[in-house]
Amino acid sequence: WWLAPEDTVTSSFASFIHAARPEQLSPTVRHRSKRMILDSLGVGLLGTSAEIVPFPQELYSSVAVSSVYGKPGVKLSPTLAAFTNGVATHSMDFDDTWHPATHPSGAVLPALLAASQMLPPNTKPNGLDFLLAFNVGLEVQGRLMHFSTEAHDIPKRFHPPSVVGTLGSAAAAAKLLSLSSAQCLHALGIAASLAGAPMANAATQAKPLHVGNATRLGLEAALLAARGMEANPLILDDIPGCSGFSAFYSVYQPKPLPVPGGQHEFLLEKQDIAFKRFPAHLGMHWVVDAALSVRNLFINYAGSFSPSLIRTIMLKIPVSKYINRPFPSSEHQARHSFQFNACAALLDGEVGLASFSESSIQRPELRELLDKVVVEHPEDNMANFDKMYGEVALLLHSGDVLTGKCDTFYGHWRKPLSKESLLKKFRSNASHVLPEEKIEAIITLVDNLEDLSDSSQLACSL
Amino acid sequence: MWTKTITGNFAKVIHGLNANQLTDQVIQRSKRMILDTLGVGLLGTSTEVCHKVAQYSKIYSSDLSSTIWGHLDFRLPPLYAAFVNGVAVHSMDFDDTWHPATHPSGAVLPALIALAEAFPQKKKISGLDLLLAFNVGVEVQGRLLHFSREARNIPKRFHPPAVVGTMGSAAACAKLLALDQLECKNALAIAASYAGAPLANAATQIKPLHVGNAAKHGLEAACLALQGLQGNKQILDMDSGMGAFYTDYSPQTLPTLQSYPWLLDQQDVAIKRFPAHLATHWVADAASSVRRKLVKSSENLLPLDKIEKVTLKVPEVKYVNRPSPASEHEARHSFQFVACSALLDGSMSVESFSSENVHRPALRELLCKTQLEHPPDNTPSFDSLYCEVNVTLRDGNMISDRCNTFYGHWRKPLKKEDLEKKFQSNALSILSAEAIECIIDTVYNLEKVEDCSVLSTFLSGQSARALPGKLCFL
Repeated sequence: WWLAPEDTVTSSFASFIHAARPEQLSPTVRHRSKRMILDSLGVGLLGTSAEIVPFPQELYSSVAVSSVYGKPGVKLSPTLAAFTNGVATHSMDFDDTWHPATHPSGAVLPALLAASQMLPPNTKPNGLDFLLAFNVGLEVQGRLMHFSTEAHDIPKRFHPPSVVGTLGSAAAAAKLLSLSSAQCLHALGIAASLAGAPMANAATQAKPLHVGNATRLGLEAALLAARGMEANPLILDDIPGCSGFSAFYSVYQPKPLPVPGGQHEFLLEKQDIAFKRFPAHLGMHWVVDAALSVRNLFINYAGSFSPSLIRTIMLKIPVSKYINRPFPSSEHQARHSFQFNACAALLDGEVGLASFSESSIQRPELRELLDKVVVEHPEDNMANFDKMYGEVALLLHSGDVLTGKCDTFYGHWRKPLSKESLLKKFRSNASHVLPEEKIEAIITLVDNLEDLSDSSQLACSL
Repeated sequence: MWTKTITGNFAKVIHGLNANQLTDQVIQRSKRMILDTLGVGLLGTSTEVCHKVAQYSKIYSSDLSSTIWGHLDFRLPPLYAAFVNGVAVHSMDFDDTWHPATHPSGAVLPALIALAEAFPQKKKISGLDLLLAFNVGVEVQGRLLHFSREARNIPKRFHPPAVVGTMGSAAACAKLLALDQLECKNALAIAASYAGAPLANAATQIKPLHVGNAAKHGLEAACLALQGLQGNKQILDMDSGMGAFYTDYSPQTLPTLQSYPWLLDQQDVAIKRFPAHLATHWVADAASSVRRKLVKSSENLLPLDKIEKVTLKVPEVKYVNRPSPASEHEARHSFQFVACSALLDGSMSVESFSSENVHRPALRELLCKTQLEHPPDNTPSFDSLYCEVNVTLRDGNMISDRCNTFYGHWRKPLKKEDLEKKFQSNALSILSAEAIECIIDTVYNLEKVEDCSVLSTFLSGQSARALPGKLCFL
């Protein structure tokens, strides 16, 4: 039963976290991760202006050293700042999504920003250290998801950011704080006991807490490990009769990471991220692009968008209960509704921030369209962000049928957002809470992250 | 209010239960639980894990604060007080255990005590309020455990306090905060997103954090619900809600509020006599009895060299099967260790798990001769398991004994004197004798206490003589 420390999956992770070096970050990985950082900051800044429940701050600290997105005068304790910023990042479901499915950046970035401000002035990590820690956090998440075939599909039981995100945050924080290999090991183990939130809270106001908690609790795990707290050193390994991390999956086949030293191919190299163009669940992006396409056909056909000509709107989508909502009644539900997003795209010719406001959701014209929607689940439409498609067909009273289909929406990893589009999204988001000079300063800082001598400047600039 | 959902039904019950519905038996049992929990918590403040957690939590200090049991020198915000004290309670695995299996009190009491001290608008919370909220928290845990057949057996996947304990804490705090029904529902929903920790961290230093976090996160969930945060209103109904933690999940509505049948009425807890996993308590009693048969001479020493082998017939519980534990945490989760200790010393105590005792040569020698067997009729359930200790001597003789129900189990509850003795012994190194007696008195008369924050004052170690005005319950 006793395995030599090097032989366990868990210790291979700890070794990786501990021994990964900046030189192992390839240009592609650096480039992609900087895009992710920028996008994450933007959606987080935007998120602070959303109607997020004000946190009962008086219950917490005033050893306040860490910045809160968009609130220059305010500082909170590191874990609370991480929590707040993590919640903001996921508050509108506008943050990045990876394959296998999770929201990787929101679980990692806020913890790193908060931690960078915790460290004494003469030990501040530089920008390259920061970028490395960020990527360690992503890599751990990706590798963990590869332990289970379940993880390749859109989740059903546990919300992935709360599972792998917590460990990713712990890994990233452990890296930034330069924990020893043993401490990295225990950070993972402690984090496992803080991981896991059920899917049922998706499409509710509580969902953003999943990312907030992932980043905050991962940071806590690292801080506890730094103080010598010890957990099960086999937490990632398969332990029959006594579940470790495997508790979160029904099929679990852990594999060790490659031994550190020499090259390391980060998953981000081979598998890019998807950035969202509007604040809704990733699945919505396919139906929106399909809907926009058929809307154009319809306008050519009828001269203008005339709903009265439409008998039925047929959506061909994968099976996924929590995003199949015929009549969403809140913004959170609307962001998780194939039907809503298709109809909003048809009606307005675009889907954006304003589409999810209370008044927009309740519009009679929109409800009328929703009434016409019928949903089908073709067998070949898998509930998987790498393989799914969206199809919108308009069955007209005249008998004619117009169809739009989308295999790969703009923003998906197969069709990444251009630099201009990404910057446009960031500027638009950040402008809700920051003045132009600050916005441009952040863009420059992130773009030149590797050259930054003190990475806490990034946190301070928010 | 529409309560067709189980979640809504829970919220209705949490909201609607009142003190009049507490039966005498429930009151009596829960007071025993409260006393025991405080004692193990006080003792636990001296552990290493607790020191680390307290050091960590000191990062967070603010004006609003609650007592850290056993400490006058610093206070923490309620959330972290709940956390630190919760960790203390479970730090030595000395706290109560229920059936179906969980540690109900540690997840609830620290949160309530911390909250009562730092209540919004400085409102005074009475002892009766505390007692009611405590029982709501325990009840919710029990009811949730009944939703899955898996829960009847000793766990394998998730550590129950982290699952149901978080929910119980949320329910208890929601009750104390007098949240409305909708808020109660949301407290449960939010808490679910904090619930769950894998069992693999049992027998490590992290296990106590499961209870600390349950207390803290349940409190946080209730506070967030009070602020208006909303979650899934069918969190208890859905497979993708609470069902995520189980492979078979069949939620049911709670009984109606009229003459509410509390689970604690029908099913008491087990109180531990020494700080180790409950399953080892059967082993200890059987081993002690075997030792009495073996040791006849006045020397009172176990004839080690005469022992050929020791066989333990126990249920199959992987995380308590440790032939050679290397730390106190592992020793507390080892059938073999407890059997050998009890054979050597005649009984188990707090000191049995000290580093010297864990590593003593005589014990190691005996451990080498010890094996486990898992009879198929020995089911891994705290309600039905048994333990048999067989010692085979070199001359061929075999001495054995079987324990079906250890003293302290719900079928053979600790007598009042013994419960008090445990508390006194635990609290002795931390508090003065008068504080100890004041706590015992306060808990026994909890219903009459006007301001239950006196408990916190006593727990902090402040001299009882300094507070004449506070002892106003008789």
